[in-house]
Formats: sequence, C-alpha cells, structure tokens
Amino acid sequence: MTAQVRSELLKLRTTRTTAQMLLGALALTLLAVFLEGLPPGTAELGTEHAQREVFSAVTTAPLFATLAGLIAATCEFRYGTIRPTLLVQPRRRIVVAAKLVTAALAGSVVAAACVVVAFVAGVALLTARGVDIELGRAHVLGLVLGTIAVGALGAAIGSAVGMLIRNQSGAIIAVLAYAFMVDAVLFEAVPSLGRLLPGKAGDALIGLPREHLLAPAAGLAILVAWTVAFAVAAVVRSERADV
Amino acid sequence: MAAGVARVRVPCMPPVVQAVGLAKHFGDVVAVDDVSFELRAGTITGFLGPNGAGKTTVLRLLLGLAAPTRGQALVFGRCFAELARPATRVGAALEAADVHPGRTGRDHLRVLACAGAIAEDRVAEVLERVDLGRAADRRAAGYSLGMRQRLALAAALLGDPELLILDEPANGLDPEGMRWLRDLLHAFAGEGRTVLLSSHHLAEIEQVVDHVIVIDRGRLLAAAPLDELTHHGSDALEDAFLQLTGEHDA
Repeated sequence: MTAQVRSELLKLRTTRTTAQMLLGALALTLLAVFLEGLPPGTAELGTEHAQREVFSAVTTAPLFATLAGLIAATCEFRYGTIRPTLLVQPRRRIVVAAKLVTAALAGSVVAAACVVVAFVAGVALLTARGVDIELGRAHVLGLVLGTIAVGALGAAIGSAVGMLIRNQSGAIIAVLAYAFMVDAVLFEAVPSLGRLLPGKAGDALIGLPREHLLAPAAGLAILVAWTVAFAVAAVVRSERADV
Repeated sequence: MAAGVARVRVPCMPPVVQAVGLAKHFGDVVAVDDVSFELRAGTITGFLGPNGAGKTTVLRLLLGLAAPTRGQALVFGRCFAELARPATRVGAALEAADVHPGRTGRDHLRVLACAGAIAEDRVAEVLERVDLGRAADRRAAGYSLGMRQRLALAAALLGDPELLILDEPANGLDPEGMRWLRDLLHAFAGEGRTVLLSSHHLAEIEQVVDHVIVIDRGRLLAAAPLDELTHHGSDALEDAFLQLTGEHDA
C-alpha cells in the first residue's frame, strides 16, 4: 500500500497537470477575494459578515481539488496507464485506496495553498482600504481547517467519481453540472434535502454564512459519509471491470 | 525395498502459462471460446491469428486485466492477481501507447518501479537495454511508435521477470529494430525464461519462435512446436497458418 501511494504521488509530480490545477485554483481564489473585497464601501466592509464573504473566496479550492482528483484518476483510463499500473499491482482495491489517499493529500495541499493566498490577499486588501479586521478567531479557524478538510475529501470524491465514470470529459461535465446546477438548485428548492448534498455539506464545514446550512460538525459527518460511499462504489466497480 | 536406492522426487513444476477452457463473452459476442494451452519454461511461443481473432483478449485474461466468462488462466500455477510481486515474475507489454504523453519515458518507468518496489537503478538499466537512454528525459508525446514499443518493453523488463508476454511487439519497429527484438528474445529464452508474443508478422515471427499457437474467431486451431507445424521447415509458417485459418473458414 505504501509503495502504491508513493507511486501515485510520483505520478502527480511527473506531469504538468497538477501544477496547472494548483495555479488555476490560486488565480481564481485571488480573483474571488478582489471581487468580494473591492465593490463594498468601507463601512460595509467593516462588518464581520462582509469580511466572512471576502475570506470565503477559498471555497473555489475544493472544486479545483475535486477536479484534480478526478483528472488524475481519469488520465489512467484516457492514456491506458491503468494497464501497466495493474500489471505491477494487480490487487485493485489497493490501487483504488492508494489513489484516494493520494488525491486527499493533493487536495489538502491545493486547499492549504488557496487558504494562504486568500488570507494574505484579504488582509492586504482590508488594510489597504483602512478597514479593521473583524473576523473572529473561531471563524478563521473554521475557514482554514474546514477548507483543507473539504479540499481533501472533495479530491477523494473526485478521484472516486473518475474511477466510476472513467471517461474524462464525461466525468468533468458531470461534476461541473452537479456543482453549478444540481447542488444549487436542490438547495434553493428543498434546503432540508439540499444541505445533505456533498457540496452544501462542504460549505457547512467551511462555515459559510448561509441560511439553512448544517452545523460544521454535521457537515463534516455528512461529507465523510459521501466520501466513504463513493470510495466503496469505486472499489466495487474497479474489482469487476475489465481494463 | 532395495537398500541404497535413493528415491529422487522430481518436483512437478506447473506449466509457466496454462489456459484451461478459457472463454470470454462480451454481451452476445464470443471473443474467446474454450481455449486451452500450456507453455513450458525456456520456450518462445508465437501467438498467431488474424485481426480480431481474440489474441489480445486471451493475453488480457492471462494478465488478470479482464475476467474470464469461463475457464481458468494461470501463470506459474496461479491467477495473475495472486502472484506475490508479479512484476518480478511476469513482464508484459500490451499496448505501446499505454503511457501518459506528458510524462518522460524515465518517469513512466520510475512510477512503475516505485509501485513494484523495484530498485530505481533498474530504470536506467532497462532504458539502456532497449536503447532508449538518450530519449529517456523527453516527454512521451514526442516518441515515435517504435520508441513507444521500446518503452513498453522496458516496462516489461523492469522487474527482471521469468516470463514475457508481448502483444504485437514488432509493430512500428524498423528492420534494425526487428533484429534487435529477435536477439533480445533469444537471449531472454536462452536463460531458461519464457516468452509468449502475439503477432501477425508471420515471416518475422518464424525466425523468433520455437512454438506456435494459432487461434481464429476465438477458437484454438493449433498449439504445436514450430517444426511440427512447418514439417521441419519444408513449409513456410505463412502457408501452414493460411491453411489452418482457411480450413476454419470453410
């Protein structure tokens, strides 16, 4: 298992895709900080609520982490490298587990980097505009730890979805369609149900200032449950499928 | 019992490769139908058949990449997935293109060596052996088909295996490359190791193999020493092959 995880980490380090995903995530985080932090007047920006919106720019990180996990998994099928992988390690559940662990590690790194960028840019922006920082320690802690946790779990879910769907473009479309349509629409229409979806459970864990979201601990529990469900499905599919 | 007569127990070595009543269906399509054969150590066996005969499917079944509908595919007496450190027993190259185009040849092999707990020194060794040393640090996207074949072969040799399973290894190789492959396989089998290679380059394969398995439309037509099939060289392999597949068509 350790050897397979090391191999999977080496896979991530030896193509440009991972670095490109990380740069994309950082750029979008930076953009979101300025989009939330520039338009409001200084009085409004002085409120805790407005500042929570500025720093919640890091919520782009989990989506990128999910896509990074998904792309790493689907590349194996797109380029056929799953075959040499399984010739060296034919125990498929070990390969699946190693991919999930590796994706979670990579996802937490992407999320942590985005957190750093969001806080440095956010604090710089507020200071430049002469606004005192009103964000409480609990919120900061929730945002930092929550984002890293959602990045890790999101990337593992992305990896599992990639192993389930296998077709790269199909899987990316499925995840984006879910993230921008199903997740938002269901939450608007039936909040009591929509908040149980992985996207909204993640938002709860990060502590986003939205109505109807679960408490952070409940969000974590729901997101872990989703991750386990996707992981089990990925193992079952991988054990049965021909490659 | 006569005193002083030592009973020597000859261990019963399982065949290196054993297909027993192997069948694979894809929906209604019967890709492989009741195929049985055995390979012994130290032999080079050509696995021949027209396009779509089921050669690649049989190789995938032997390597545990696909599950048989019926029958058993065994290597060293076990299912592939049950082998401990399989890369050190079986080296396989199924498709030359099974490499990420954005990864260098060297990194492709490092990834596999890492997963198989194979010493990293082996990567440079096999790159030299397949004559890919100078291109090793270029991304695979820029490799020719022949270079990809060599990289796939390097991956197969990485664990210093006892058995090589190669699917169409001659594709994309120039005449010099063919001679190099032939010498490599002869040297490999000369050490008592075993090779199973599929091909439809019959004239080329005749110079490499000592045993032949012929399949067509998923069914086994022949499994015999090359000499037997070509009547000790009086017939060309191509004629014997066409006669077998022609009879099957009739």
